[in-house]
Amino acid sequence: MNLVERYIAAVQRELPDEKREEIGRELSANIMDQLDALREQQGSLDKEQTVALLKKMGHPRAVAQQFVPPQPLICLGYMALYKYTLFMVFGILFLLQIAGSTVDWLSSSQMGLFLYLKSVANGFLEDAIFAFSAITLGFWVMSQQQPLQQDTYERNWQPEQLPDAGPGWQHISLQDVFTDLATYLFLLVIIWYPLWLTPEQLANSRLVFNDTFYEFLRWASPLAVLGIVFSMFQLRYRFWNRAMLGAGIALNSLFVLVILLLAANGPFLQENIEQWRGVFEPGQLERSVLITLLIIGMFPLWEVGRDLIRFRKLR
Amino acid sequence: MTTGQLDKMRLELRRGVLVLAVLASLKQPLYGYSLRKQLRDGGIDIDEGTLYPLIRRLAEQGLLDSEWQQAEGRERRYYQISAMGADLLAQLSDEWQQLNGALSKLLAKNTEETEL
Repeated sequence: MNLVERYIAAVQRELPDEKREEIGRELSANIMDQLDALREQQGSLDKEQTVALLKKMGHPRAVAQQFVPPQPLICLGYMALYKYTLFMVFGILFLLQIAGSTVDWLSSSQMGLFLYLKSVANGFLEDAIFAFSAITLGFWVMSQQQPLQQDTYERNWQPEQLPDAGPGWQHISLQDVFTDLATYLFLLVIIWYPLWLTPEQLANSRLVFNDTFYEFLRWASPLAVLGIVFSMFQLRYRFWNRAMLGAGIALNSLFVLVILLLAANGPFLQENIEQWRGVFEPGQLERSVLITLLIIGMFPLWEVGRDLIRFRKLR
Repeated sequence: MTTGQLDKMRLELRRGVLVLAVLASLKQPLYGYSLRKQLRDGGIDIDEGTLYPLIRRLAEQGLLDSEWQQAEGRERRYYQISAMGADLLAQLSDEWQQLNGALSKLLAKNTEETEL
């Protein structure tokens, strides 16, 4: 008897408070009936037979889950929206972190590339953990209160609104959009760095562009703004069509052009850079900037080529 | 097909039918163990881990009425089909007859083709 009581108590511990007593009572009655039947069959009942019966019933947690199946934290109807929200919020936090860390990097002469990446990763993880907890909690509350709201969402759709069937690449992934947005934002923060820095930070700034080069660089900022607008548009219509591809080709071609023009308009850096004196020769630095610009130019050039092929395929 | 896969498919096949079997068996009041015994005697063997939670769920949905009674020196919860349960049983029985008829034809055709 003691074994049965322990077994029922173990099952009850796995149950919600409001169901413990009733299910325990019912389970007890059922087990007693089975033991009685066993006693009738065998003539007597020993401890081993009780143990065998309880083993056959199953682990207390499994039995409790059969009576009250575990509910997912977020109901399945909300799962797609939950994942989408998480991705969007993580993307925005990543962009904000890129902007913040870039300003810190620009204003500090102590912060190298490694510390910059560490700052991005640390700041993003800290914000992302908080966002993940808040979003999950919000969806948990929604799941508890309105678990059937998905029905409305699933009813209110029209087959005519579905995008054209096409190859997999036509769907624009959120990851691609946020990578582009982060790049454009990084560019804008770099180009307009005097706006984000205090005079003291400006004095310590690691960016020491030549005035003519910097003036020319500022003229490129509308292109970065255009890129942000284009990426925002992609967030709404996440499907490549000929018009979108055409816009992408035009934008990336302009980027290539601007980068080539920048590369052709050296010198890039101020003369007599105090921080780097004795470490790099001015000629070495100029060559490094030129090579970096050419490498950067390869990315939009590659996208132009890729989009031209896709554009032709969509005829 | 492995034994595990077969067991899983068999379980899925039986799951829907068990509701019909339980509702049909509870025209007179029965407690958990006696219901299981009656089903087993009728050729449907359900393990207690499936049956007891199932009858509780059906009672919570209003398809079964239940009452605690003292019998043989012990309390037992007796279940019996409710009016709502009886309506559902009638509808499910029709559905089952149609499905069974259609399936029987399909299976017979399949057996004939295999034999040829």
